Amino acid sequence: REMNGSYSMQGVEPDKGTKCRESFKFVSEVKRDVWKEIGEERSEPTCSLSVSKISYTVSERLGPWWDLPSYRKRWTRQILNDVSFHVDSGQIMGILGNSGSGKTTLLDAISGRIGNSGTLLGDVFINGRKLKREEYQDCFSYVLQSDNLLSYLTVEETLTYTAQLALRKHSAEAIKKKVSAVMAELSLTHVAHSVIGGRVFPGISGGERRRVSIASQLLQDPRVILLDEPTTSLDSMTANQIVVLLAQLARRNRIVIVTIHQPRSELFRVFSRIAIMSCGKLVFCGQPEEMVDFFSQCGYECPEYCNPFDIYVDFTSVDTRNSEREAATFNRMHEITSAYQRSAIYQSMLEKVEQNLQQTDKPAIPFKSKESPNGAAKLEVLLRRTVRNLSRDRMGVLMRLSQNLIYGLFVAFFVMHLDNDITKGAIQDRIGIIYQSIAASPYTGMLNAVALFPALRAIGDQESQDGLYSKWQMFLAYIFHILPFSILSVIIFTSFLYWTIGMNPDSVRFLCFSAVVLVPHITGELLTVVLLGVVQDPNMVNTGVALLNIAGILVGSGFLRSTQQMPEVFQWLSYLTFQKYSCELLIVTEFHGLNFTCTPLLPLPGACVITGGDQIIEQGYPGALSRYTLDFVLLYSFLPALLLLGIISFKIRDKVIRH
Amino acid sequence: TYSGGCNELEVNNLQYEVDTAAQIPWYERLSEFKLPWEINGNKQTAINKLSLRVHSGQMLAVIGSSGCGKTSLLDIITCRDEGGTITSGQILINGKPNTPKVVRKTVAHVRQDDRLLPHLTVRETLVFVAKLRLPTHFTKAQRDKRVDDVIAELRLRQCAHTRVGNDYVRGVSGGERRRVSIAVQLLWNPGILILDEPTSGLDSFTAHNLVITLSRLARGNRLVLLSVHQPRSDIFQLFDLVVLLSSGSAVYCGPACDMVPYFTALGYPCPRYCNPSDFYVDLISIDRRSPEQEAECLERARVLAEQFEEKVKDTEDHMWKPDGSSTSITSDDSSQQPGVVEGEQLITISQQINRLPGKLHQFTVLIRRHMYNDYRDLVTILVHGFEALLMSLLVGCLYYGAGQERLSIQDTVALLYMIGALTPFAVVLDVIAKCHTERAMLYHELEDGMYSVTSYFFAKVLGELPEHCVFTLVYGLPIYWLAGLNDAPDRFLLNFLLVWLMVYCSRAMALFVAAALPTLQTSSFMGNALFTVFYLTGGFVISLQNMWLVASWLSYISFMRWGFEGMLQVQFRGNKYPVTVNNYTIEIDGIHVVGILNMNQHPLYSCYLVLLAVCLVFMALYYLSLKFIKQKSSQDW
Repeated sequence: REMNGSYSMQGVEPDKGTKCRESFKFVSEVKRDVWKEIGEERSEPTCSLSVSKISYTVSERLGPWWDLPSYRKRWTRQILNDVSFHVDSGQIMGILGNSGSGKTTLLDAISGRIGNSGTLLGDVFINGRKLKREEYQDCFSYVLQSDNLLSYLTVEETLTYTAQLALRKHSAEAIKKKVSAVMAELSLTHVAHSVIGGRVFPGISGGERRRVSIASQLLQDPRVILLDEPTTSLDSMTANQIVVLLAQLARRNRIVIVTIHQPRSELFRVFSRIAIMSCGKLVFCGQPEEMVDFFSQCGYECPEYCNPFDIYVDFTSVDTRNSEREAATFNRMHEITSAYQRSAIYQSMLEKVEQNLQQTDKPAIPFKSKESPNGAAKLEVLLRRTVRNLSRDRMGVLMRLSQNLIYGLFVAFFVMHLDNDITKGAIQDRIGIIYQSIAASPYTGMLNAVALFPALRAIGDQESQDGLYSKWQMFLAYIFHILPFSILSVIIFTSFLYWTIGMNPDSVRFLCFSAVVLVPHITGELLTVVLLGVVQDPNMVNTGVALLNIAGILVGSGFLRSTQQMPEVFQWLSYLTFQKYSCELLIVTEFHGLNFTCTPLLPLPGACVITGGDQIIEQGYPGALSRYTLDFVLLYSFLPALLLLGIISFKIRDKVIRH
Repeated sequence: TYSGGCNELEVNNLQYEVDTAAQIPWYERLSEFKLPWEINGNKQTAINKLSLRVHSGQMLAVIGSSGCGKTSLLDIITCRDEGGTITSGQILINGKPNTPKVVRKTVAHVRQDDRLLPHLTVRETLVFVAKLRLPTHFTKAQRDKRVDDVIAELRLRQCAHTRVGNDYVRGVSGGERRRVSIAVQLLWNPGILILDEPTSGLDSFTAHNLVITLSRLARGNRLVLLSVHQPRSDIFQLFDLVVLLSSGSAVYCGPACDMVPYFTALGYPCPRYCNPSDFYVDLISIDRRSPEQEAECLERARVLAEQFEEKVKDTEDHMWKPDGSSTSITSDDSSQQPGVVEGEQLITISQQINRLPGKLHQFTVLIRRHMYNDYRDLVTILVHGFEALLMSLLVGCLYYGAGQERLSIQDTVALLYMIGALTPFAVVLDVIAKCHTERAMLYHELEDGMYSVTSYFFAKVLGELPEHCVFTLVYGLPIYWLAGLNDAPDRFLLNFLLVWLMVYCSRAMALFVAAALPTLQTSSFMGNALFTVFYLTGGFVISLQNMWLVASWLSYISFMRWGFEGMLQVQFRGNKYPVTVNNYTIEIDGIHVVGILNMNQHPLYSCYLVLLAVCLVFMALYYLSLKFIKQKSSQDW
């Protein structure tokens, strides 16, 4: 491990000189340099990747679910068709192809993230050793198309936290060194202390963000790096810089494979291998100058002032606009493919694969550094990271702290002061306040989660695929980091509302009131996060939780329909709602021992039946007084229960979501 | 092909400045906590001394890296500039300055994003636009022919009966959707076609095809102006004229095929297997990685721009022509002349009857389009219906257990309040979300002058009525029946009318909020806040007597209070309830219960009148905000 660490530092030096010259040199020269570096100057073990006859088929149902006869029928679609290639370390391979040609699926297949929906055939060899399916993920680093980064962390912090999650046995010193080495390698040092930035507030540029994503993969010292469309959505100049940078990474004894859509013609000289895919087949794979020759031999000349990449991709892709065109282009594609498979390029590549397999002293498989820390330590790092991120998010913090208060202001504005006279709404207003406190606080919790959690969820999905931690650990970290904010927010809310409108002036009762209101607030957020674990669309979760909340209030609270009179099913159901317990508790907290006055305006019979708060408790919630402690325990047991549910939900997510 | 008169677009020495701070709308700044003094506006020159002249039959491609002023240029030409000022120069369309009115008449603008109704088929989309856009003297057969022509012209025939779709709804492919957007603009046969990045996001075949179509359109005597970010080499070869922009000034403007010789002469040859547009865009784009590089690039771009300006100083159309080829272009022009004259006569003849459809006609077309789009979206309708039904069943079952005996007074009061307060909440959220998805398209079409606000308003309001009625029925009926409320038919009808009005009030409120505020977030916050105010002042949560002055004023406009009051009166008047006091059981009229709640001060009919008034006021506010608050159409959230 030490050796790996120092090797990338060394790697910077000898390249520096050649780097600038090389990026615009002709391919053959680049090749020679690389060859020299690897073959003679380097003593580190080289590494080679062979992919042999990878095929991937999925079977899909023909029709929609309501059309049963066609739904029962399945048809198999071949997404990858017998793909084989060989790459040595020090090489960068670019995979070209139109959308739908299977580029991304190929990377998914090699990196072991393809899921179980289809059947994958074929083998992947590293250094001539066959890789087991479950080892794929430990051997390859995969940089996804989108950058999922926490927007309020600096570049250095982002990388440090990732390093802490990935590398256990390293001391703080070693991690620091590692991070600065990686930053130097990707020339991120000048933005080390800049914030990443998000959609609305500015941060580092798109190209830099891309490089941070690549850097966080490099921390684990992978020998094979796969990148899916690393240049999409970058402007052309930045895109070129990224590819040149990747070529430099490759030259330091790594294998880099990128899929790329519409590469610029200048990049022609940068790639050491170019593969063209169409309809799941590898139409061509070889060195760039071989490519021009090959296509010229096939009779497809690239005209002057034309981007050969574009021309050759067009020659090999299938135009589905109408059936004649489709047949013609398909035949052309087929012709080129078979020409390629007859060519010397293909044969020599096959020989190389064969050679590698025959080798007697095969070097070991270079796994990523993966001595990751234990669960508790990971949780701690995750917790620190989320707290650090939120603490810089002024809007997020303010939203968390003030939302309950804003609602409290509304309520207080309309109630102003509670009266003790029954005819002036003493009972009605108090119940109204309790009802509002129970109904609104889960809602604000839900709003927080819907606004802030999906971004974190996306990061968690990606990093758990990288094997940094499990999704449920991220869920726990999220829940723990919101606790202090939720407590503070509820205390601000209750201390404002309680004393402004003049509820039962007893400080113990106030504390009980706050402690009760806290639970619905946290439950609202927890429930939302739990659902977000299994439901992808936040808007759907939003509606779902809002409905659940209303249903819970209707069934559980007993304000809208006294519990004893409900149909039996609902009475049973009410035990499952946290609203039942919290309402009972708040009713007792407020009404126990309270005395009312009564000055009826009209001498109506029955206007002054109720004189004390205990009557209310006896009528609506018989026995609630004696259940006070039990209710508290039951109410608070909702939190661990939901935590458990959340862990299960995120374990399910592991199965459902692939990257 | 286009048979109208010859059009000419001229940009004269244009200088345009953008205030970078003014580009960020206030609500985004607010969400970042940027206080007024934290915003330091710096004015940047977006377009610098640019001159162009193009006329019908030409296709001009504006090429440049991001931030070179492409979009600004197109925005200025189409009068959609925001946050910038033209400091000098002018834009002339057929010799007249470009006012929005002129633009609306002659220019079709295809925007970067596709704004179409997702549930209409391609053909329906076009037919509705044809009805709105084509002059009234077109017969149905002529209109259909025009639609078919455009479909054929853009090769949309095989997907003509497929839904358009969007990100969430499966429909035609991205390239086809792009072509539908272009078809929408082509339908009304404009002389000038302006397209902002039409090829981005398309795969190579489609992009290639699209540009071929565009150049064919240009050859059919139209003026086509498009901006392209990074044209592939095959596409570049299809352009006839290009202008290369760097920081707002033209570095080259002239025939595409002469661009390489021009730069070669200046000492910048293009390598052999290199896409010239890529190569020269790189040459003039600004590398901002370090200050030195940036200064160097700026200097190079400036020098190139000056050199170009020097070269074209004497030409009339500010285009570079290689020596000797100028004659061929003029001969080209002269060959077009006769056709143009004919076209002009044609247009003068038709001008008298060239009236666009009137408001009533617009309204009928819009309402049909609305219906088509909404009722094809079965899933959303079912989800909403199911939501309402579920809610209603839940509430109904909750109050069902009473069996033979009636619900107690307390329960009845609570139930009545719940009926009024539950659904409106879901309705508010749904309506706001729907308005925001539709609104980008609405403001595009209003900008294009396709129809008037008034027609849209009535079409929208009336188009949603049937849906509203059905949902109120689905919601109101089961509750009433399950809870066993007063079963006299007149009482039921009165009650149903109240529910209908209350839900409609909340709908109107949501429409108003969605039209008045800029983002979905602000709209839903405001909708929630207003709803909470009306909810709290409804008279159930807080008793009316106990409300202080301002709150009780608010309760007078709370539709929930009036609805609640009305429902109580409908339900209790004349119903006898037994009350036991000190072992005496007396029957009292239910209306006294209403009296205790302070809900018997106004006659029943006034509840209906007030609710109706609240609806109308919100509708009027909705109309006014549609008319006067112009929301940015390019918002995506």
